[in-house]
Amino acid sequence: MPIFHHSRHEGFDEAIIGFSRYCRENDLDVGLSHTQEALRAISHGFAGDVQSLKFALKSLFCKRIEEHEIFGKCFDVYWGKRRHEYAHKVSNQSRSNVSKKANASLVMMGFKPDGMEDELVEDTKSVTGDSGIESLKKTDFSKIAQIDSQALEELADQLLRQLNHRLKRKLVSRKKGRIDIRKTIRNNMSTGDDLINLYRKSRKLEKYRLVLLLDVSGSMDKYSFFLLKFLWSLKNNLKNIEAFVFSTKLIRISDFLHQHQLDETLWRMSHETDNWSSGTRIGACMKDFNEKYAKRILNGKSITIVLSDGLDQGEPEVLSAELEKIKMRTSKLVWLNPLKGMEGYEPLAKGMKAALPKVGQFGSAHNLESLMELENILASA
Amino acid sequence: MIPEVQKLIGQFEGLNYIVEEELATVLLLTLKLQKPLLLEGPPGVGKTEAAHIISSYLDTELIRLQCYEGLDVNNAIYEWNYQKQLLSIKLNENSDLSVVEREHHIFGEDFLLKRPLLRAITAKDKPPVLLIDEIDRADEEFEAFLLELLSDFQISIPELGTIRSEHRPIVILTSNRTRELSDALKRRCLYHWIDYPGFEKELSIVRKKYPDLDQEVSESLVKFIEHIRSMNLYKSPGIAETLDWAHSLLVLHTQHFNTEYIDKTLGIILKSDSDIQQVRTAGVDAILEEIKS
Repeated sequence: MPIFHHSRHEGFDEAIIGFSRYCRENDLDVGLSHTQEALRAISHGFAGDVQSLKFALKSLFCKRIEEHEIFGKCFDVYWGKRRHEYAHKVSNQSRSNVSKKANASLVMMGFKPDGMEDELVEDTKSVTGDSGIESLKKTDFSKIAQIDSQALEELADQLLRQLNHRLKRKLVSRKKGRIDIRKTIRNNMSTGDDLINLYRKSRKLEKYRLVLLLDVSGSMDKYSFFLLKFLWSLKNNLKNIEAFVFSTKLIRISDFLHQHQLDETLWRMSHETDNWSSGTRIGACMKDFNEKYAKRILNGKSITIVLSDGLDQGEPEVLSAELEKIKMRTSKLVWLNPLKGMEGYEPLAKGMKAALPKVGQFGSAHNLESLMELENILASA
Repeated sequence: MIPEVQKLIGQFEGLNYIVEEELATVLLLTLKLQKPLLLEGPPGVGKTEAAHIISSYLDTELIRLQCYEGLDVNNAIYEWNYQKQLLSIKLNENSDLSVVEREHHIFGEDFLLKRPLLRAITAKDKPPVLLIDEIDRADEEFEAFLLELLSDFQISIPELGTIRSEHRPIVILTSNRTRELSDALKRRCLYHWIDYPGFEKELSIVRKKYPDLDQEVSESLVKFIEHIRSMNLYKSPGIAETLDWAHSLLVLHTQHFNTEYIDKTLGIILKSDSDIQQVRTAGVDAILEEIKS
């Protein structure tokens, strides 16, 4: 691993190229064109002093405010006065820590990283057989073995595609919009210049935004992995989705869901989040959501869905107050509780009890069939 | 600070704009590299103002495109004035013009309604400043279209052909981050995050705008606002609110920035009932005490 430092390069231009490589190594999205532009900036005299160089390169190399910190560190190390012997090791070390953590959480979520092939698979093969789609739809997530999960995933994907298709059709067939003069003229050419048939513009599809808040605390362990997969396939099929996971902390995962590979997504997520399987403080997380995201994300067209068992260690009053705030901003607040699928379940947990009066709709989320209820929720929104 | 940036800050100040070193550097870079600039930050910190700064500095036209959900090409680029075209056809019905001439006539510039993007591209004298405001509100499809425009600066109109820009406009995009913009768009832009201004900067903005206001009063006013911003409110006051508040003191001929006055006029800076309640619960007195110490 080379040591990245400006003093290792001969000319200033070369040092800039080295710096963009260094930034790339540290996961900043720096393309060749950016390097070229950096060189152009230098030729315009932006290297006159350190501060100007930093500001100029920062605006070129960073694409979101979260990257400013990484950039700052890279810049200080690379352009620092003394060569930083351990510079490259810093990032390496943190990376290996992360991968350890990621492996741990993957195992926890029912995923086995390479080299950990297990006998469990053999055992479960006999259980599935030709269990059939219908029964798979109705199976409680907590009772599905790993071997089924592949089939379940495919099924979920298929069902979601159908769901999305039906939703689209519903939206399109609604009433048409105002008169489209261009089209009207074109289609009335045969009648000379008298406009007889009027044509209307098709109305723009109303897009709603789906905001999903998924509980990943210890009590949800059996479900959170499947629900997360559900979020992921939802993301593939419906465009406008914001997703968060929470337990004791709230973390936005919408950006990870953009990734195309599920495994990769999970890995990246465990890389960034460290709240899997911990305790639950729903109220505090909702508060966090309200403070940081609600203003930006919620509007009259958003539907907020909370996926949680409602077993809360925090104060029920906080939860109730925060849900009220969410309710005021969103068009519909839905709570899906996997425990509701259990026979004889009653919302007695104090968190759930506090939440119920604020919630517009209360459903279960223990198997695929119950998740498909989402269609009705979306269609009536 | 390199001399060019220093000069720029000085010139901005002459135009009554207070600009921090970092923003000035980035603006200079925008001009030098001719690359679009994406500004992000909370509402009310002067993102739109940055475009005004540039346009008044260059003494050029500011063309603004306000984005919203459902913004389409017809509203962003051009549309034919169909009513006028129909009238013109009727009027020329009995003239001796040939069909080709007539067609040429009704698809001429007179009948073209230029929307902001086309106006920016067809600007005649010097490069205009094109402000694409709140791009995060527009749909993703529009964003994709914008990508094409921002790389080539040309627009095709089927009836007229391709229109190329004579002067490459200076493009400034702003976003409140209601959604993440696509990486492709971001890659084509310079990026700068504007945060709430620091005490010194906000004070100098107030001083610049309302020089008649007592120095001490403006200081405590800015400190008060700064404190309120740290309170995690539903909607934090922006620079515009600070200026409104300062203005209110002048209009009401009040010399004293005290508890009574603040209590009565909290509505100028806080726009939600729960926020006002929160500040009152914390105690205006207590906040005033704290900022004095």
